Amino acid sequence: MKVFWLQRLTCCGNTHSFLNYESLNTLLKRVELIYHPSLSQKPQEEAVEELLRRGEEFDILLVEGAVRRDDRETLELCRLAGYVVAVGNCAVYGNIPALANANVCGLGYRFKEKGGLLGEGFRSKGGLPVINLSGCPAHPEWIAGTLLMLSEGIKPRLDQWGRPEEFYSSLTHWGCTRNEYFEWKVEAQELGSKRGCLFYHFGCRGPLSYSSCNTILWNGVNSKTRAGTSCFGCTEYDFPRTGLWETKQYAGIPAELPIGVSKRGYIMLSGVAKMFTPERLKGEA
Amino acid sequence: MRLENLELPRVEGEARLELLWKDGVVEDARVCITSIRGVEKVLMGRHYMDALVITPRVCGICGHAHLMASVTAIEKALGVEPAQKGQLVRRITQSLEILQNHIKWFYLFLMPDFVLLEKSVREFYEPFRGRRWQDAIKVASKIAKGIALFSGQWPHSSYAVPGGITSEPSAKEVTTLRQILSELRDFFLKYTVGMEEGEFISCLREGSWRRLGGDAGLFLELSHREGLLEAGRSYDRFISGGSLYFPCGYFMKRVVHGKLRVEQLQELESSSYSGAKPVRYRGMPFETGPLSRQLIAGNPITKSMHRELRDSFAVRVMARVLEVWSLTEAIEEWTQRLKEVLHERSTSLGRFPSKFSGRGYGVVEAARGTLIHSVSVKEGTVQEYSIITPSQWNLGPRCENFLGVAERAILGLKSPLHAQMVLRSFDLCSVCTTH
Repeated sequence: MKVFWLQRLTCCGNTHSFLNYESLNTLLKRVELIYHPSLSQKPQEEAVEELLRRGEEFDILLVEGAVRRDDRETLELCRLAGYVVAVGNCAVYGNIPALANANVCGLGYRFKEKGGLLGEGFRSKGGLPVINLSGCPAHPEWIAGTLLMLSEGIKPRLDQWGRPEEFYSSLTHWGCTRNEYFEWKVEAQELGSKRGCLFYHFGCRGPLSYSSCNTILWNGVNSKTRAGTSCFGCTEYDFPRTGLWETKQYAGIPAELPIGVSKRGYIMLSGVAKMFTPERLKGEA
Repeated sequence: MRLENLELPRVEGEARLELLWKDGVVEDARVCITSIRGVEKVLMGRHYMDALVITPRVCGICGHAHLMASVTAIEKALGVEPAQKGQLVRRITQSLEILQNHIKWFYLFLMPDFVLLEKSVREFYEPFRGRRWQDAIKVASKIAKGIALFSGQWPHSSYAVPGGITSEPSAKEVTTLRQILSELRDFFLKYTVGMEEGEFISCLREGSWRRLGGDAGLFLELSHREGLLEAGRSYDRFISGGSLYFPCGYFMKRVVHGKLRVEQLQELESSSYSGAKPVRYRGMPFETGPLSRQLIAGNPITKSMHRELRDSFAVRVMARVLEVWSLTEAIEEWTQRLKEVLHERSTSLGRFPSKFSGRGYGVVEAARGTLIHSVSVKEGTVQEYSIITPSQWNLGPRCENFLGVAERAILGLKSPLHAQMVLRSFDLCSVCTTH
């Protein structure tokens, strides 16, 4: 499997995330990284030109960073590659660089608007649309896992945003150590404590975002919510929203409820939960 | 006269180097950095807390430093002092971020250039395959794990908040961190300097840099062979905002400790060829980064190297390498102090105020040098946000009176590869420079 890593408008966060993959050296034996701009000895422009001049097909193109709408080189590379993988929210939706510039987008989207650089109907040589690994950054296991699947001939099943279901079918909320506080509606009153759920006051998007951050831990040890920081929904098209640390409420009820929960159900359940909250969950530790 | 245009591999982001040759020597050099992402613009009109999520995204390798600068600026604007526990943990994670940067930079970014010059070192430093290249990635990601123990993840965490931190670390995190530090020490002694601890300490005390072995010794030998020990000098003026393991100060012929006077700092308009804005202190260009920090801290090896070779390529590189040890020592000390305050609260503020007005700036040390954020908030909303990155000091373009620091360091070199290497000795980060 020949893999070419391309960087566009990026902070290189996905590269450094990827370098944390625990079995990187083994992965590099199984999957040949033919080029990476932060690691290889040639400049990127030269490597891209060479590849385009030879017109040689290769297996996987990974794109990190948002792209400009007139980026012909990236477009041509996408046509040569067996599979195209957009790594990180910038390459998927445009993210921060797209907020500041209307001419900037992701490969398949500009925020929630379909199209992006490649247009709506894009299929790579291998017959798949762009494989989107959203996240700011994408988790190393999501990147390595996707590469390994493709190298073993497994075509990942994709969700409605083109993301592998293996990594994006559950909510960030799954596996969060604060789940019990969420169930019993115990609200974190301040930051800096292991207690309480951050969904009610601190803008936590855990119940509203698809990611496996709490089941496939970061750096093997932790996650944002476990460390007392709200999930900011960085795997979704609308990251970064405004007012990231606050939960909008109407009449004491969060303006946006967890995915799949009705307002009526929520009000009934939270009333009951609050009434029967176990003592051990109340108060500061 | 011949103009050469080089695109640089192995930097954070994209950068170009324009060289003007005359009789086989670099007569003029321009460092060109483009691709602006507009992070400051994105912050305008948002709630001030959003900055803690957005500014780390300036940079994938030093996002933590941006978070620290951001939270410090906000705390100043709020008039809040962080809790001691939070402050210690922040210092620890910030230093860990610098450590992983230095390891990656030396082994993944810098040493591979020597592979192009000497085939014999290929087995160690060749990208993807070199033995040490692979070891370095492993140890760097261990260090990143150390950050994540406290911050939730690395890269891109937002666990520092006004008044402290969001996590509540326990003895378990502290002992795991000490384990990671031990591994890093072993790596540094065995491979980087190639000697037993006692021997290294005596080297350090005596400032005898010629005795260093391991990859550092090999680096010095290769640099000597390539004529890079004395090449790559710039203005020999240094600046640092302090904190971490050393005081604030500057170096102009001698070290002067004292406060950085922000009112004497100037950000000029960027030139025609670079997106970066040059920064001047008292109207002059200064170099910032590990060499600056090590001189101000008085590291004996750095001092003796600098006395002999001034601000050359080799001295700049070795300062960065030696800082791995200085930071590891400092983290050990903070960890001991942290053990005593673990029971205290993580933040002094609790809930941040939704609305307030104020202005503040945060000066912190990032891997590449002094990083400054300044923020002005009105009724909870960001009115102005400005970021001065270390790379602006070092890689910023020329102004009317002075060449940029790196530009000047490249003058007089005789090969394009040497020019690139000297530029890389500043630990180039174009993504920060053009945020």
